[in-house]
Amino acid sequence: MNNYLDLSIKEIHELLVKKEITPLDLVEECYTRIEKNSDLNCFITLNKSEALEYAKKLSEEPVEEENLLWGIPIAIKDNISTKNIRTTCASKMLENYVPIFDATVIEKIKAKKMIIIGKTNMDEFAMGSTSRTSYFGAPKNPIDKTKITGGSSGGSAACVAGTLVPLALGTDTGGSIRQPASYTGIVGMKPTYGRISRYGLIAFASSLDQIGPMTRNVYENALLLNELVGKDPKDLTSRKCEIEDFTRLIGQDIKGMKIAIPNYFVSNIVSDEIIKKLNHVVEILKNNGAEIEYIDMKYLDQAVTLYQIIAMGEASSNLARFDGVKFGYRSQDSHSVEDMYANTRSTGFGNEVKRRIMVGSYLLSGENAKIYYDKALMIRNAMKEEFDKVFQNYDFIFGPTTTTVAYSLDENLDDPRKSFMDDVLVIPVNMAGLPGLNISMGENENHMPIGLHIIGNYLEEAKMYQIASFLEEKLK
Amino acid sequence: MEKLTKEEVLHVAHLAKIKVEDCEIEKYQVELKQLLDDVDKIKEIEVENEELLVTPVEHETILRNDFNTRKVEFNELKKNVPVTNGNFVEVPVMVNE
Amino acid sequence: MSEYKTAIGIEVHCELKTNSKMFVDSINNYGGMANVNINEIDFALPGTLPSVNEYGIMLGLKAALALNCTINKKVIFDRKNYFYPDLPKGYQITQARNPIGVNGYIEIEIDGEKRKIGIHDIHIEEDTCKSTHAETKSYLDFNRNGVPLIEIVSEPDMKNEKEAMAYLEKLKEILLYTNVSDCKMEEGSMRCDVNVSVSKTEELGVRTETKNIGSISSVGRAIVAERNRQIQEIEQGNTIVEETRRFDEKQNRTILMRIKETGNDYRYFPEPDIPPYILEDKLINQVKESMEILPDRRREIYRNAGIQPINIEKIIANQEISNYLLDFSGNLVIASNLLLGEISAYLNKTGKKLAETTLSKEKFTHLVEKLDKKEINNQIFKEIVETIMETEEDLDKIVDAKKQDEIGEQELNKIIETIVLSNQESIEDYKQGKDRAVKYLMGQIMKETKGKANPVIANKLLMQKLNEQ
Repeated sequence: MNNYLDLSIKEIHELLVKKEITPLDLVEECYTRIEKNSDLNCFITLNKSEALEYAKKLSEEPVEEENLLWGIPIAIKDNISTKNIRTTCASKMLENYVPIFDATVIEKIKAKKMIIIGKTNMDEFAMGSTSRTSYFGAPKNPIDKTKITGGSSGGSAACVAGTLVPLALGTDTGGSIRQPASYTGIVGMKPTYGRISRYGLIAFASSLDQIGPMTRNVYENALLLNELVGKDPKDLTSRKCEIEDFTRLIGQDIKGMKIAIPNYFVSNIVSDEIIKKLNHVVEILKNNGAEIEYIDMKYLDQAVTLYQIIAMGEASSNLARFDGVKFGYRSQDSHSVEDMYANTRSTGFGNEVKRRIMVGSYLLSGENAKIYYDKALMIRNAMKEEFDKVFQNYDFIFGPTTTTVAYSLDENLDDPRKSFMDDVLVIPVNMAGLPGLNISMGENENHMPIGLHIIGNYLEEAKMYQIASFLEEKLK
Repeated sequence: MEKLTKEEVLHVAHLAKIKVEDCEIEKYQVELKQLLDDVDKIKEIEVENEELLVTPVEHETILRNDFNTRKVEFNELKKNVPVTNGNFVEVPVMVNE
Repeated sequence: MSEYKTAIGIEVHCELKTNSKMFVDSINNYGGMANVNINEIDFALPGTLPSVNEYGIMLGLKAALALNCTINKKVIFDRKNYFYPDLPKGYQITQARNPIGVNGYIEIEIDGEKRKIGIHDIHIEEDTCKSTHAETKSYLDFNRNGVPLIEIVSEPDMKNEKEAMAYLEKLKEILLYTNVSDCKMEEGSMRCDVNVSVSKTEELGVRTETKNIGSISSVGRAIVAERNRQIQEIEQGNTIVEETRRFDEKQNRTILMRIKETGNDYRYFPEPDIPPYILEDKLINQVKESMEILPDRRREIYRNAGIQPINIEKIIANQEISNYLLDFSGNLVIASNLLLGEISAYLNKTGKKLAETTLSKEKFTHLVEKLDKKEINNQIFKEIVETIMETEEDLDKIVDAKKQDEIGEQELNKIIETIVLSNQESIEDYKQGKDRAVKYLMGQIMKETKGKANPVIANKLLMQKLNEQ
């Protein structure tokens, strides 16, 4: 066993360039590690024979010296459409669904000659905060296998944290990249809404969903983000931006940066061990010339309510296409269309999904659309304006990513509200469409990771990586 | 604990086109009520500006040229269709609208 | 029964004449082999997203302007959610909250009296799949899915079937002339739903909706049938309920389809996949300025040129002729007579379009001049129409050749004399006032001259000869 996967991407790249290793070595090591750790249940589908074949082919080609991601294995969350690789959304509904097209991000990954190792486990249709709603069983936290990985990008978080694969893609609708990154101690970025094309991302809540990189360190996160962004004519919500290198500010000083910490983010909803860690980070920042202020922000405590309404409302519509007609599961022996719908959807969807689309349908029906949905969009607008105000005076908003560390796999199974409350600190970012980043700020006495949540202004991901990398170094 | 009525559960299930078995109704009566109580909090939140934020996107939308077209063969599309018949997608008979 | 007032509102769906679909980048073409003009977005495969057809928006804008609407410059879309197999996404993208045009009108004319019919709104949306039904199965063709539509919703301003039909004719005319839609009701590219209510008071009665009526004349019959049904119900002490009906052409009556579900169950909400699109003033003005001249303005031009009302309507009914006359600067009366007369006859006979003939604008102008100056008459034109329409030959030459070709008057007189003298019976018939004698003799003359006689002259000479007898 060579343990190349314990090296950084830069180090791996040097070995590839020097022809000391080939992509095939990396891919074989990935599968060895995945098989050894199969109890983590990180993957729903492995792309083994295709990945090995592609790695072999790449191994015979010249290394692209400028392309640090050449031949690097990557894991993809199973709600991102991959041509010829089963894409299930962790649902019985799509148990046998094999897409005929690649998501735009997958096209980009393939263009950079990264190697897709497999599709990672997640909450069904990304609805959940623990990945336990997966039809294929919950993934386990590699730090402590009795604990949840968080969710919904639990499989991606676990396979990166367990060093089974160096890079992974997650998706974040209300914290689904940052919260599992926090629970497993890795780096997870939800970029500005519109940075990355959503074409091929199986929609949960269209106005909130965003794909993002999940990696072991800040630099590699920025490196991967470089390759994912860009305006896509197939996604009208994707935005046209200047081409930039997100790693460019890494290593620069943070002196004079102004950071706001909303009082709500350090209120009594957050456990003491986490507050303690955050205070430690605050000390480091102050000692290095950053300014920290505690501020009041309106609406932060209402974010979960907004999220429930907007996400469930949009989901009820986005998931209407799963009707047994064109793809996916269809309940047999239905004699009418009504029967086919009701049987297909009640058998094909799990409980969490059914609950959410029932509530979502209700929230949009008749007058409710005005009472709930429109009102939520008004407050969403007010919340965005509140963030805009803060960013007029500050570079970042800081807080903990989660209120507690990862809890036991058998805890809180019966409370339908718990999955929303787990994301209470990260949801506001999705409401405003801002970028949010999790890095680890250490661990508690049981070695469970504790995450720092860095919120940046629109399109300021590079600056977020700058301060995150600075802290990563100081916290080592 | 407060609950939805059985009829209310069946109504929302009908809206979402989900069949609810008799044995599940009680569970939903409680769970859906909890979620609906949560979202009801929206009514108490005060907001001055009544503008809606539908999507955080603020950029100009670029429209598609009418002549930019793509086609995918039915043979490719039908791979995932549960039931086809010739070049058609087959479903149980639709009640004619 | 006459104390009942009828109020009629009409919803019209028209397919837009685009190359591709409204929110999918596949070809707008259905009716042929099933499921051949589609891609993964038509199938609503997981992860697919809509795009917006620019030309579709432009046609919607153009229609809204042509129908005198106020334009909503912020173009936004909504999702209309319902489950049906012909709706692949489980929702239709439409404009519920902010239609592209509002508060417009169409001017109709009934028995010389003009009246404005209000347009509540016009909005852009997408069509559903086509389904066919067997006993236990239905079959879906996705080619029609996503075809661009506009829906034009009138106010309940029409009082009878005449007004309703005039409204539809006018609407169709405007959409045809602006090239927004081909408005073929028989092929479903224009579809009508009619709302009818009756009331004895000023307040509107409860309305029913009769869906998908197949032609404008059927709309008229359906309105009469539905009004009579409602009055009969009320007279019998029953109440009218809001419901959806269809028109049975054979039985000439409307038939209940379903009672309307109470309230709004379509769960409308703003489409989050399509951010707002702003129509700039510059663009709106461009569309306004480049708009085709509308039919009513054309009527005015023809009227001022002295064309008879009956011919004006004939011209308007033929868009090709109307367009042909647009930039014509000569004698419009002669030009229109020519186009509606011999040229139309020729086109009908050959199944050609004007553009497929060799009749250039210059040639046509020249021809009208010749007719105007009486250098040729209609009779001669009739005989040379084919040469004009099918060859590049110079018009003057064609006319000259025709004249040369004609048998001279003297020679013709001799031939006529011979024929008259050898047909004594016909002379007798003629003297007894039998018309057919002249026809017979003319026939003989044409036969003898192999058609080279000028019929006007031949007729004149024949009559002289007969009266001499």
